[in-house]
Amino acid sequence: MMRYSRFVLTPVALSVILTLGARELSGQARIISLAATSPADLGLVVTSGAVQTLAGVTDNAVNNFPSPVVIQTTWSVNPGQTNTVNLVAYFAVPAQALVGLTTQIPSSRILGRMTTGIPTTFSAVTQNGIGGAGTAGGSLRLYSVVVNGGNKNSSRTDNLDLQLDLVGFPALPAGVYAGVLNLRVITQ
Amino acid sequence: MHPVFKNALIGTAALLLVTSSSAVAQIGLTSNVATVALTATKSPTLTVSANVATATLASITDNSNANNFTPVSLTTAWNLTAGSSVSLIGWFATPAQALANGTDLIPSSKVEGRVNAAGFSPFTSAAVGGVGVAGGSLQFFSQSVSAGSYFGSRNDQLDLRLNLAGTTTMAGDYTGTLNLQAVVQ
Repeated sequence: MMRYSRFVLTPVALSVILTLGARELSGQARIISLAATSPADLGLVVTSGAVQTLAGVTDNAVNNFPSPVVIQTTWSVNPGQTNTVNLVAYFAVPAQALVGLTTQIPSSRILGRMTTGIPTTFSAVTQNGIGGAGTAGGSLRLYSVVVNGGNKNSSRTDNLDLQLDLVGFPALPAGVYAGVLNLRVITQ
Repeated sequence: MHPVFKNALIGTAALLLVTSSSAVAQIGLTSNVATVALTATKSPTLTVSANVATATLASITDNSNANNFTPVSLTTAWNLTAGSSVSLIGWFATPAQALANGTDLIPSSKVEGRVNAAGFSPFTSAAVGGVGVAGGSLQFFSQSVSAGSYFGSRNDQLDLRLNLAGTTTMAGDYTGTLNLQAVVQ
């Protein structure tokens, strides 16, 4: 025990001497803190399926859009400052997800599924927005990834399947119904 | 406070301030917005349906027009994007043989029809809008449609009879097929 104390005390004593010595030499010490921040980055690209055309809508039935929407997401974030990376799909006006000449189809009739994400079964686009992304009652969280040191710089590719559910919906007047589904990534 | 410690404290505080600012900036960070264009098309439709597949006349009376078949209820439905009228036409493929009993024939001119208790007319008209057969057709109705009525339907009762005034038929069962078809013009 005595030998250990001697080893511990010796560097402390030296430190005091060195500090005092420096003071005697320069009078003042300046400490400059250096901080360089690499900005976080989120990227989102629809690599295929950005145009979905459903040629023959059937009333009172579930209609499948023809092909998946392939979404590639990339991110570079600080795991100490970001908990999750989230992908959100949403319609700007939930009551008018698809607009026809006289009839509008609400977002509750548009179903989305991402088997690699959160809605692994078809779910209506009726959730609220997440953070600053999405609209109240017209959104659907597609995935949420917990950020850690291992995936702070990462990417993923997912397929989004879409359906138009007209079961129980009044028969649609003939015509074209068009709308835009927005996709956005947000950190939380 | 020792100047060294004081400067160290100031530096640390500054570093914490910078770090905390970055933390706030990375929560709620959003990407660009990607879009998916959705288009769904509901095709125009035009349908005719009858409540029964067979209309019968149990016993023919010669030299009389009191030969009424059992009535038929018709539903005509349309869901359109264009056009000015919906018409319903009844027609026999071979007017000279509207009903047949072997070689004994009743022409379409002896078969009469009406909807909704209007006057009876024989099936002797021309085709309408490409629907029907020349000399073997009868238009039951023609209803105007426009943008406000492109999506609609109507129900009609179709009455059919044999007008055998001046005609004597051979005994037996006479059968035939009346075609019903709607057309948009």
